[in-house]
This record gives sequence, structure tokens and C-alpha cells, in this order.
Amino acid sequence: MKNNVRLLRTTSDLTQEQLADQLGVSRQTVIAIESNRYLPSLGLAFKIARVFGKRVEEVFVYEEE
Amino acid sequence: MNIKRYRQVRAGVALFIAALVSSGVVQNNMILAGVAVVTGMLFLALVRSKTKIVVDEREKLVREKAAQAAYAIFAPTIGVGSYLLIMLGRNTPYLFALGQVLAYLALYLIALYALSFHLLNRKFGGQSEE
Repeated sequence: MKNNVRLLRTTSDLTQEQLADQLGVSRQTVIAIESNRYLPSLGLAFKIARVFGKRVEEVFVYEEE
Repeated sequence: MNIKRYRQVRAGVALFIAALVSSGVVQNNMILAGVAVVTGMLFLALVRSKTKIVVDEREKLVREKAAQAAYAIFAPTIGVGSYLLIMLGRNTPYLFALGQVLAYLALYLIALYALSFHLLNRKFGGQSEE
């Protein structure tokens, strides 16, 4: 699973801390998602997409193993 | 976990460690006192949080994995340990008794795991509705 969270965050001029506050998660979680070390739950994925005004599939891209 | 709860947990662990250390010193059991001090320092150093405590889904996952790893290591260790102590301690009552205590502990842990699994499986809808 790839994601565009870092790209969308930087183009939205948000810091990791600000995004974390908006999502109600820790900054470590945002860092882990951006670096693809943690796959968020469906609920958090929808929240992230909503923050950027995108659809989930525009933020998270499923890749066949 | 909010800051109040976090402080309560830390205080509880610190109290337990202090009780073990004092008991070790009183009974002249320096190994117990030493292990308690080292464990306490490890806990206070690793499980600490800064001003803001956010328990989110990633942290919950980390806790689940940590608990799972602790169980996966602890259960077989005391299981095999108890068996060996019971076998080796046939002529040594102290080792035999220690083996029995560990065996009960292993059984208690297995029962606790089975019960928790059953209850959580029910809570999260793992049973057929038909």
C-alpha cells in the first residue's frame, strides 16, 4: 500500500504536528504513516482523506503484492 | 490514557518495585533487590511520556504487540522451566517446590489467556449468529 500523505500535507502547508492534531493522533503516527511503516485503520484513512478534501483511493493506493 | 491515569500507573509500578526492593533488603536477598531496581529503572526510562499523551490506534497496536510478545516469551519459558525444575528437583525439595510454583503460574497464565480470548472473541463478534 502506497500513500500520498506526505505530498498532500506539504502542499497543504501543514506540519506533521498540525495534521496529527486535526486527526487526533500522535505525531509519531503521522510519521509512521508517511514513511509507510504503519497502515492506518479504515476510519483513520477516511479522516486523512477528508482533511485533504480527497477520496481515500486518491490518498492510499493499493498495490498487488 | 490521560495524564492522571498515566501517573497512577507509574505510581503503582514504583510502589511495587519499592516494596520488592525493601523486602529484598530486609531478607538479605540482594538479587531480588537488584533485579527490582534494574526493572524499575528500565520501566521508568522506556515507558515515559512527555507533556501530551495521545493513545491512538498505532500506540494501541504497539501495546498489543508488546503484550503478545511478552506472553509468547513468558509462557513457554515458565512452562519449560517448571517442567525442568520438577524433573531435576526430585531429590531437591527447594527446586521441586519452585518448579511447582512455576507450573501453577504457567497454568494460570494459560487459563487467563484462554478466558481473555473467549471474552474478547465474543465482544468483537467472532461467533456465528446462525
